Amino acid sequence: MISRQTSLAKNIILFCRFLRTKGYAIGPPEENLLLLALAEINIGSKQEYQLAMRATLCKSQKELEQFDDLFRQFWKELDKAVDAKEKQVPEKKQEKPKPGPDASFRALQTWLHGNRNKDTEETATFSTRENLARKDFSNIPDDELYSLQQYLRTIARKLSVKANRRHEPSGKTRQPDLRRTLRKNLRRGGELLDIVYRRPKKNRMKLVILCDASRSMELYTAFLLQFLYAFQQVFNRVETFVFSTGLKRITSQLKQQEFSDTKKILGTEKLGWSGGTRIGACLADFVREYADNLLDKKTIVIILSDGWDTGDPHEIAGALSAIHNKSKKIIWLNPLAGHSGYQPDTAGMQAALPYIDVLAAAHNADSLKKLGNWL
Amino acid sequence: MTVHKKEEIDLQDIKKMLLDQGYITDDSVAMSVYLSLRLNKPLLIEGPAGVGKTEIAKVMARALETDLIRLQCYEGLDATHALYEWNYQRQLLHLKMTEQSEQSIEEKEQTIFSDAFLMKRPLLQAITHHQKPVLLIDEIDRSDEEFESFLLEVLSDWQITIPETGTIKASHIPQVILTGNRTRELSDALRRRCMYLYIGYPDFEKEWMIVKTKLPGIESRLAEQITRFVQELRAMKLEKSPGIAETLDWAAALSALHIEYLDKAIIEQTLGLVIKDWKDTRQVQLSLSELMEKTGITSKLP
Repeated sequence: MISRQTSLAKNIILFCRFLRTKGYAIGPPEENLLLLALAEINIGSKQEYQLAMRATLCKSQKELEQFDDLFRQFWKELDKAVDAKEKQVPEKKQEKPKPGPDASFRALQTWLHGNRNKDTEETATFSTRENLARKDFSNIPDDELYSLQQYLRTIARKLSVKANRRHEPSGKTRQPDLRRTLRKNLRRGGELLDIVYRRPKKNRMKLVILCDASRSMELYTAFLLQFLYAFQQVFNRVETFVFSTGLKRITSQLKQQEFSDTKKILGTEKLGWSGGTRIGACLADFVREYADNLLDKKTIVIILSDGWDTGDPHEIAGALSAIHNKSKKIIWLNPLAGHSGYQPDTAGMQAALPYIDVLAAAHNADSLKKLGNWL
Repeated sequence: MTVHKKEEIDLQDIKKMLLDQGYITDDSVAMSVYLSLRLNKPLLIEGPAGVGKTEIAKVMARALETDLIRLQCYEGLDATHALYEWNYQRQLLHLKMTEQSEQSIEEKEQTIFSDAFLMKRPLLQAITHHQKPVLLIDEIDRSDEEFESFLLEVLSDWQITIPETGTIKASHIPQVILTGNRTRELSDALRRRCMYLYIGYPDFEKEWMIVKTKLPGIESRLAEQITRFVQELRAMKLEKSPGIAETLDWAAALSALHIEYLDKAIIEQTLGLVIKDWKDTRQVQLSLSELMEKTGITSKLP
């Protein structure tokens, strides 16, 4: 019925667009591949059709898991869109419905947009503490913000040069190690049979950043992220998460954007910024979902938080001990530590202390400068 | 010839071939394999250990009636181990032996940088193979990021340059299968170049079928009990969940011992075949009674 009114290819493109709004990385190559794939199967079978789409459009386990639901959702809405158009007709006049695909597309399009909003509303009601208030950076004067940014960038550049020299990367991967080669071949009468190679030691450090994004921390988070990303070429990999009442991975968003947009990312991500922070639960989430993939003994974990936790301190201890075991080092940055007379005596900080390698302040540019020494 | 054969393969053939190999699975696997063959796209397969990711490559090789070339990845794997290496020892010996000969330096150079002294590693083998091979790149997530980007280059160009002899272009583009255990996140670029397939643990019916297919001699009741028990173990969130390989090992062992049904003592004695981590072992032993109740295995009273 649908296929009679709208072309298959058009529906498929629309479906791809729909998936893209759900975070699937689908571009023209994928669409092209899908259309090629459909030529290979029995298109009359709905099952084969769905399987082929699944096989060509999904690129990770998570995407595979969601796919069937999204597929059903989309084609149901498409049916509805067609129905809706037919129902509208008697209200207008007794005219015969004109077989134009536009109406159904428009209905679908409004649903695409409308539904996106509905989605976020649904997640908003999920947690009572979640607060969708738009973040406001206006409490620092704009001119000051700019000069601070400049300063941070300068420090970061200096530090990154230093770090690079220390690890001396080199384009050549294979150089004979003359000394070892001669030594090894002496026992064969000095004939050079085995050649021993060496290669420059590479800096293979990775960084995982977990930022508290509750209201009290948002400014610090923004600055720290800018600082770390300015010298990310030193690291093999930088992964960034923000948390408050929930955990969210923002690595890819940060990669794509300038710092001016970083503010926007932090400001618009719907995590419930001003709600109470559940550090322990979020860290436990991180351990469960990502620790196996992202942590190893070359990874430094940086946690930026003031340690004010509304959850169970045991949870913090449990999660941190797991992170501690899997990573090279945990650096906890606490802006409050910059004030004289600070004692880490909140329950959350107390629970965390045994597992932290470095506890440092990160309240101003100077303290960030020191951070370079520990990386 | 190969192309002609490929034309004839359809989805049903793939399903049948998977079945003939004793590979019991669902339609999504068959579809991915089929499309990967037809569209000639690399297939990236992820999933826990022991669910038969590598098996798929073997099935594919059989489907195409061709050879399987395997590249096992490990940390520190670099281009020389994956591509080619000159056989230095042979080159040196050759030079030594021809020291007295009249050959000019150029001639000697030509000889020692010829095919006879070239050790082909899997990637070069795959490219120069006389027919379209299946190239299995196993556990790609164990190699480091550098190798991954190098691999991306090879997978898109299908040519390899050897400075001493020149560029070799693939005569047949190999059918590529990559597998991973999700020990490291793979780059998006690699994902986008491949078709993706995730194979998880099978459900009870499927696993029961697998046990009965692979071990035709097994007591039906034992097979059922073993499968149920392993399924429960997987639900326990252990450090190392048992894979299908473990189920089969266990079933084969118990079957060889002519055991007809499970009881507590037997499970305790043979648990090492299924659980391979001491923390897990302890956890399972502690909750053994509960597990047995869940799986309906009656503990025999003495």
